[in-house]
Amino acid sequence: MYGNRLFKIGFLTILSTCLLAAAPDIEQGKTSFKNNCASCHNKNMKDKLTGPALGGSVERWSSFPKSDLYKWVRNSQGLVAAGHPRATELWGQFKPTVMTSFPNLSEDEIESIFLYVDGVFKGTYGPKIDNAVVSANETTGSSGISTIWIYVAFAILLSLAMFLWNVMSDLSYTRKLSHGEPDAKRDSIWEKLTSKGVISLVLFGLILFGGYTTVNNAISLGRQQNYSPEQPIKFSHALHAGLHKIDCNYCHDGARRSKQSVIPGASTCMNCHTAIKKGSQYGTAELTKIFTSIGFNPNTGTYIDNYENLEQNVIDTIYKKWIQDNYKEINKVTEINEDAQAEINLEWSDIVNSMTGPNKPKIQGSIEWIRIHNLPDHVYFNHSQHVTIGKVACQKCHGNIEDMKVVRQYAPLSMGWCINCHRETDVKFKENAYYESYKTYHEELKKGERSSVKVADIGGLECQKCHY
Amino acid sequence: MKKYDQKSWISDRDLSNDETLLKEMNSERSTESISSLLEDDLSIEINTNRRDFLKLLGFGISAATLASCETPIKKAIPYTLATDEIVPGIANYYASSFINGGDYCPIIVKTREGRPIKIEGNALSSITRGGTSARAQASVLSLYDISRLKNASKLSTDKSDKISWSDLDNEIANGLNANSKIRIVSSTIMSPTSKKALKEFTIKFPNTKHIMYDAVSSAALLQATQNCFGVRGIPDYKFELAETIVSFNADFLGTWVSPIEYASQYVKGRVVDAEHPKMSRHFQFESQMSLTGSNADHRILVKPSEQGNAIVALYNLVASKLGAPSLSNMEINEKAKAALSKVAEALLNTKGKSLVICGNNSLEQQTLVFGINQMLGNIGSTVSLNRLSNQRQGNEIEVNALINEMNSSQVDALIIWNANPCYDLCNAMQFQDAMSKVKLRISLNTILDETSSNCTHSAPDHHNLESWGDAEPKTGLYSLIQPTINPIFETRQAEHSFLVWSKSAMLNATAEQPYYEFLKSSWKEKFGSANTNFQAFWDKSLHDGILETSNNTNSNIAFNGNCAEAASKLKSSNSTGLEIMFTENVGIGAGQYANNPWLQEIPDPVTRCSWGNYVSIPISFDGDRRFVSFENINEDGTLAQLTVNGNAQKFGAVKQFGLMSGTLSIPLGYGRTSAGVCGTNVGTNVFPYLKADANGYTQYYIDGAELKNLNEGIEKAFACVQHHHTLGVTAIEKSSGKKINADEAALIDDAFKPLTKGYQGSLTDRTILRHSNLSELKEHVESLKEERKEAQKLNSNSLYPGYDYNYNSGHHWGMHIDMNSCIGCSACAVACVSENNVPVVGKREVSRHHEMTWLRIDRYYYGDVENPNVVYQPMMCQHCNNAPCENVCPVNATNHSSDGLNQMVYNRCVGTRYCANNCPYKVRRFNWYDYTESDLFPGNSRMMAGEKDKPYYAENLVRMVLNPDVTVRSRGVIEKCSFCIQRIQEGKLNAKKESRTLRPNEIKSACQTACPTGAITFGDMNNKESNLSKKLKNPLNYIVLEEIGVKSVVNYTMKVNNRDESIEA
Repeated sequence: MYGNRLFKIGFLTILSTCLLAAAPDIEQGKTSFKNNCASCHNKNMKDKLTGPALGGSVERWSSFPKSDLYKWVRNSQGLVAAGHPRATELWGQFKPTVMTSFPNLSEDEIESIFLYVDGVFKGTYGPKIDNAVVSANETTGSSGISTIWIYVAFAILLSLAMFLWNVMSDLSYTRKLSHGEPDAKRDSIWEKLTSKGVISLVLFGLILFGGYTTVNNAISLGRQQNYSPEQPIKFSHALHAGLHKIDCNYCHDGARRSKQSVIPGASTCMNCHTAIKKGSQYGTAELTKIFTSIGFNPNTGTYIDNYENLEQNVIDTIYKKWIQDNYKEINKVTEINEDAQAEINLEWSDIVNSMTGPNKPKIQGSIEWIRIHNLPDHVYFNHSQHVTIGKVACQKCHGNIEDMKVVRQYAPLSMGWCINCHRETDVKFKENAYYESYKTYHEELKKGERSSVKVADIGGLECQKCHY
Repeated sequence: MKKYDQKSWISDRDLSNDETLLKEMNSERSTESISSLLEDDLSIEINTNRRDFLKLLGFGISAATLASCETPIKKAIPYTLATDEIVPGIANYYASSFINGGDYCPIIVKTREGRPIKIEGNALSSITRGGTSARAQASVLSLYDISRLKNASKLSTDKSDKISWSDLDNEIANGLNANSKIRIVSSTIMSPTSKKALKEFTIKFPNTKHIMYDAVSSAALLQATQNCFGVRGIPDYKFELAETIVSFNADFLGTWVSPIEYASQYVKGRVVDAEHPKMSRHFQFESQMSLTGSNADHRILVKPSEQGNAIVALYNLVASKLGAPSLSNMEINEKAKAALSKVAEALLNTKGKSLVICGNNSLEQQTLVFGINQMLGNIGSTVSLNRLSNQRQGNEIEVNALINEMNSSQVDALIIWNANPCYDLCNAMQFQDAMSKVKLRISLNTILDETSSNCTHSAPDHHNLESWGDAEPKTGLYSLIQPTINPIFETRQAEHSFLVWSKSAMLNATAEQPYYEFLKSSWKEKFGSANTNFQAFWDKSLHDGILETSNNTNSNIAFNGNCAEAASKLKSSNSTGLEIMFTENVGIGAGQYANNPWLQEIPDPVTRCSWGNYVSIPISFDGDRRFVSFENINEDGTLAQLTVNGNAQKFGAVKQFGLMSGTLSIPLGYGRTSAGVCGTNVGTNVFPYLKADANGYTQYYIDGAELKNLNEGIEKAFACVQHHHTLGVTAIEKSSGKKINADEAALIDDAFKPLTKGYQGSLTDRTILRHSNLSELKEHVESLKEERKEAQKLNSNSLYPGYDYNYNSGHHWGMHIDMNSCIGCSACAVACVSENNVPVVGKREVSRHHEMTWLRIDRYYYGDVENPNVVYQPMMCQHCNNAPCENVCPVNATNHSSDGLNQMVYNRCVGTRYCANNCPYKVRRFNWYDYTESDLFPGNSRMMAGEKDKPYYAENLVRMVLNPDVTVRSRGVIEKCSFCIQRIQEGKLNAKKESRTLRPNEIKSACQTACPTGAITFGDMNNKESNLSKKLKNPLNYIVLEEIGVKSVVNYTMKVNNRDESIEA
């Protein structure tokens, strides 16, 4: 494992030394990509998302001057209007989705982005390893050279054992011969392999392996790492927290003061979305769901009176009008033909379906999100303890949420995972006056007998810290 | 009679070494045979063979696998409109008041995500000083009562039809006209604004009369106060000023008028300072042992019919000394006669600082008691008439008049409001018959009780926690009620209904909360002139929950009572047969709380019986080693037949110490026929036995009863917790080889002493209780000191020398319980149930020793073997530093924390119950069933009482009461007191958030905040500023079973009484 890391670091050093010579910088490219492109273009560069996969795009544009590509990035619709063949081709594939214009990107920046895109596409640019991720990687994925060495060693030992076994059986055969035993004969390979010893060894190995996997899987039953269900609204943290850099605590305002981090109410969404009524990715398809939850009429920009008691057909009319108007605006049409009506109806029925459910017949009222992070009932977890007092970053447990278009459970949320962090994390011992009552530790710190106080030292491993 | 020093017992059976009792006491489970236990578990097939077992095992494994494969989709549903007021996960607290008839307690309601989950006392109140009662604590559960009426309805004999409120209002409007004769029957109403609403109604319908009555009445006291002083109300008794307290049958610590207030005052005179020992002296004249009597220094036994005679005798003794005219003397038993002269002496020695009260509903007796107080100069000092109490206002004589009116068809409409006259009147049947002659009968009661089911319309009131309102429990002391939850059902506040029906101009019907507007405007009318900024005044009053105005009433009230006339009217007792005293239970009261399972399950403090009423029978000591009980009823719960006037009824009988021979006692409030899921058909109704005296006041005793042992064995599911989880120890008697209770045998018989002495400071001297008389306090404190020194010496040898049990860094949690303050009222026990999601299990389960209470109040007797004194000892997990339970757990599910807590981890527990077996204090409880339906698979639960479809706690409505910070335990795990770990963690968290050290008394356990007398103190022993640290210096302190070396952190104080040893018990 150590070798693995050393190898990667070495590789990165060589790579970055090479890149330093050129003006476009792959690291800067990554940042620019994240800030500007990642919300529509897939990070793996290979698959389509809202926009096309970027991998290989430089090659695809290679028959045109570089400046065409820059123009495309800065204002794609301009190039389409000018009738550029590659541009028209792309527009044909992706319309009506309009690529956001980035008039402020410099040539260097665009070059950097494509350098990064190319690096990721061809696999030459590995994901950068930061400290928070290292431990997770170490515990979860442990392939690479070290494992190969283990296999090699295992193979050598196996062949050595076979060789020795052969030698032994030869010796026993010779001994029998020399004693003049009449039925002395060499064992065939088959006989050797079906001998009692081998079968019991294999059986033993199988039981061991089976037991190991059973126990391992039984322990993780009910755990949902990487659980990433489809939510009723395609809300993207990558867009809100990543691109727009909205502070986590703005929406999850319970995290700093309460046990629950709190899923924001629709009213919190409306703080911004009274003004931003159409989404950059889905237009009216997703944002209208919030409006139907709280009773906001986007046509007029006002809240609807007595919304809870409104009939479904009245609600239909209000929001269908909104979708229809928007459709006309995007497609620059004045009449709605049959196909368009079908499209509008489809969008509206999607909205109704995602906002209602077996326990929620009416479209009005709270959005029923699917809970991703589920702790068992016998676990007490308090966000404020970690966020406000422990000053733990959200990402420590939730991963790089600002990159997640669809939230997935990053941490295993197992007890071992909690406990491990409690063992490793320093308490803000001197900063927080609460800890003054732990006199012994303060003395030890003063005398230099102790460098830090871990959570475990003040009872962080005790059962009733979390179970009561 | 033999007296035993420093010895105590719990019942006569341990004094007489009853063998079955020993077995029972040493068994964690009940001693019933397995087949009888399974008898009512019809679902369990007893003859399971190996194949069935394998089948079940196979099914179990595959079901468990299937269940865990698929991730269940859980929803996270936020508010649509996020409010700033409610942060999910953070509790909000609102000041309000618990009011039910005459029961009053200013409270702070803890709500989580908009639902009330816990009641705390309001410390700003000068009446209750932050204390609560079991009833106030349990009131939060009745909010989520599944039996509550959910909407307005039209009732007929056997059906109820839901109607809309406007239809109901129309029907009532059509049924009434301006000349209608309307009678409103209610229990005591303390609220000035409610009365104002009723006045509005009376203006519209001038022929309306409002009649109040109390199920357990104080009408005679009210009348006597009026006759003697010209004012109507209950005098303001000041127990804290009284050095001598004489109570004639008034259970002022348990049920009489304002028990929380009286208890908090009473203990001020009972807490002993070892340096300056001084205590009040309390005499109680009664026949049965009441909660108050059990706390008294002297209980002077008189028959209920002798009460008047005793009062006259005391009057004469005091009068003769003071040169006042005497009254004609009456017969009284010899022992009481002898004691009375001592009582008179004590009263005369503390003139002006003594207090005589009387709980009997007799005008003559009350007048004479005022006369005694007058002679002693107590009027104006301990009996103040400045702040009269409004907590009892009922007058049953008016109800009698109403019955006559109704019988002669003079009443057009009857409105019942928070009263149940078809059950809790002595003439309930007559009321019910007469009621049917009224055309329009409207009930505002919240459940379909005995009276509501005889009504034509039901207009259910809100629960207290959903209502707006106010109260004036004592003159000039106000209290506000504010809702803490939106009405759960389509109910309407009673006052609102009255305003609607009277079409009052003061009702703003379009307002969101019409009665709130009415309340606010009536406060503005009253206090607006004195408070220029009314809104600020209102906000502050609402925030505080109480408003105390200055006292400017006349303090010079002349005494006009005619004692001679009163005495002449008192008839000399010529009672025949047995006398029965009917008492009120601290839990379910006179039946109004019968549908609250928390209160049903809390055992009576004295008899320790739950879920039912039993007839208490007297026992006598033969002077040797035998107790003789009435009718040879040797076992508690034995079925007996009670015959009164030829009517026979079956009761379970329990033997009771300190019960006057020739008398019995039975609690009221049971045997309700229509009280919802939990209260129906529990026990037997004894209200029909009650009779009125010549003045028309209900008397709570009768004579001429007969009791016969039916020889049918004991009642099925007899739920008495007396012998469950006791701290008994057995030894083998060498001569006979019989197992005996080592402790108790030694108390009785010197012959057993050599056998039981000499091991670990002698088993028989185990420190369970320590008590002393005030006069011998010094010697007892000395010997306690010696004893503790010896115990600590024994414990100084450790298997882990040098191990620090003192936790000198961080916190070390501990507790102190002052047994001189503890009166046994059970508020703490209910608070614990409420705070910690402790399940109630029902009668059958209690009878099987399966009650789950984390905190029990042990009751011990000491002193005289027939009329003993009582000690109450709250017993919960002692959080031993050297805990025996921790060592025996095979899975380490119970272990110790670095701040000295004995932790119980449910998710680790596999249910071996070794810990419960090894606990010397017997405080660990096992979940024999899935009482709260928290298991993955249903079907492990069982019905608690009379539920039909689902177990009580499986109802989503009931589960709203659960504390979300405490795990709901499933079947098969042990649980026990956690020192309210959730409160400790919350307190620490708040301190950390504010970056400060914990304040000395910041964290309080639920039992501590519930206690009306401050008997329980929780805190950090490492914080020298804390109240706990101060109390730990008390030389009266001892640790229960200190000598066994488990190093408990709960300190108890020695119980001190102030007996005058010259008075024979």
